[in-house]
Amino acid sequence: MSAILQVEGVSMKFGALLANKDVSFDVEEGAIVGLIGPNGAGKTTLFNCVAGFYKPSAGSIRFRGEEIAGLPSYKVARKGLARTFQVVRPLKEMSVFENILVGAYLGHPDNKHAREVAEECLETCFLQDWRDWPAGDMTIGNKKRLEVARALATSPRMILLDEAVAGLTSTEVREMVEVIKRLKANGLTVLMVEHIMEAIMPIADKIVVLASGEKIAEGAPKDIVRDPKVITAYLGKKYAEAMDKGAGA
Amino acid sequence: MDIRKFLSKYGWPLLLAALAALPLVGLVGPGFSSHVLITILLTAAMAQAWNLIGGYGGQVSFGHSVFFGIGAYGAAFAVCVGKTTPWPGVIVGALLAAVTAVIVSYPCFKLKGHYFAIATFAVVEIFNRVFMIWDWVGGAVGLDYTILEDGWRNFTWSVDKRGYYLGALALFALVFTVTRVIERSRFGYYLRAVREGQETAESLGVNSTGVKLTAMALSAFLAALCGAFFAQYNFRVDPPMVMSLDMSMKFVLVAILGGIGTFWGPLLGALVLIPLQEYSRAYLAKLGSGVDLIIFGLIIILMMVYQPGGILGILTGTKARKARLRARLAAEGGAK
Ligand SMILES: Nc1ncnc2c1ncn2[C@@H]1O[C@H](COP(=O)(O)OP(=O)(O)O)[C@@H](O)[C@H]1O
Ligand SMILES: [Mg+2]
Repeated sequence: MSAILQVEGVSMKFGALLANKDVSFDVEEGAIVGLIGPNGAGKTTLFNCVAGFYKPSAGSIRFRGEEIAGLPSYKVARKGLARTFQVVRPLKEMSVFENILVGAYLGHPDNKHAREVAEECLETCFLQDWRDWPAGDMTIGNKKRLEVARALATSPRMILLDEAVAGLTSTEVREMVEVIKRLKANGLTVLMVEHIMEAIMPIADKIVVLASGEKIAEGAPKDIVRDPKVITAYLGKKYAEAMDKGAGA
Repeated sequence: MDIRKFLSKYGWPLLLAALAALPLVGLVGPGFSSHVLITILLTAAMAQAWNLIGGYGGQVSFGHSVFFGIGAYGAAFAVCVGKTTPWPGVIVGALLAAVTAVIVSYPCFKLKGHYFAIATFAVVEIFNRVFMIWDWVGGAVGLDYTILEDGWRNFTWSVDKRGYYLGALALFALVFTVTRVIERSRFGYYLRAVREGQETAESLGVNSTGVKLTAMALSAFLAALCGAFFAQYNFRVDPPMVMSLDMSMKFVLVAILGGIGTFWGPLLGALVLIPLQEYSRAYLAKLGSGVDLIIFGLIIILMMVYQPGGILGILTGTKARKARLRARLAAEGGAK
């Protein structure tokens, strides 16, 4: 598999605070890559650099071979790299369908096609029952799936999910995991930030671990949970034991 | 088909047809009622032009009297200085207004929310002062029309108001039709998306600055056409008459009163405010100048506090957000 996204030596400073330190990793085309790390590790910051919301202080970000570091976010989106927001941002005075429609117009300027695409994304993300609902008046689970549906509607090559399952009930988590599997089945590449292990471990092809802004590990999920550096920095011993038991059973 | 869908699909063309028929049945002639009708149509068109950027785009501008004024001066300049028909001035004025809007808005759009609104206030003052001392366009005295031959060529009617009525109706039809087309287009959705969340819109590939500037240019162009009509109707123009905060307020208040960000809001606002203003002016004049503005200001404050959805919100029994959403969902059903 070739890399669709190449992050190389990315650093991001906020004044004196170094939120990302020389982070490098690749995301392979068609893969689901998980970006994990404790709160404040710099995951969202890295995401915002990739999505064009921040211009990294140093380093390069190549998407499909093209440098995108520092491009404005709408241009990044136009290149086929879509994102969701950790803190959901529904377009409140628009219906669920209209929210998705705005995304769909990116690849489909004409009304008819945009509407068809929006209807598809509505179903992919289990939102058909909420079609004409005001987007601001839904449960968090629905809003999080709306984030994904809207990004998906832009017909991206790759999608960035920022904590898509954080704060959801177990039913909602299952729905979201199903949605993410569907994305992959549709040939999309997924880079997802998460700190809920249960959601990410079974579906991720690769995990990148951040701690205090630095990459401390990268590899297959089963190796990551055994990596001593990861365990001490982030997971805690209990989790490793639980995973061992789970794997043995 | 339920009534809502029917109205959303045919309501607008039916209303236009009915309004166009009024002079045929003798309802529009020389009297005062014609003046009120013309003023309603003009005011509705002004408020709708403002609504494009102020309502749909969420960029509350108090600068629209500048664009209105440029349009008015365009027509008056062509007639009084250029000694031609108003038409070339109308076109040039509207284009200049659009260009001015882009130049002025670009830095202002870097400001968020109230700061944007405040910056547009300043713009009105600046333009007002410049036109006051600019002798080429008449300075503080302004431009006065000489007597012209009646008809469409000069866009002038001295006794019978029917011509002005049809002109106002054409303007009204133009502005409202443009709004309707935009409302149901990609650009319209982008505009609302930018209002609801600029960063979110950008994450979906929307160039928010481009969208806002385009909407502002279009809004200013249409406002300038209204201004040109105003000059032709009043036979004169001077800075305080067009480029003033009073005039800017009219754009904003009518839209807010009727229901900001909605298609029918500006018409409803004008339908309520203008008769009130025109028929009460004589009584209010006795109390001193500015009393009408005080009363309208109070109405607006009460409206904002108790029913931010405007008159449309009252009619549909919903607050601003729901009213806008419902109106649009009904429209969408009708567009299918
Ligand atoms: N816009 C910002 N300005 C200043 N500091 C920030 C900003 N965004 C994030 N930070 C800081 O950068 C660090 C990483 O934050 P973040 O990327 O949100 O972490 P994560 O998503 O992994 O929880 C934190 O210390 C946070 O306080
Ligand atoms: Mg985060």
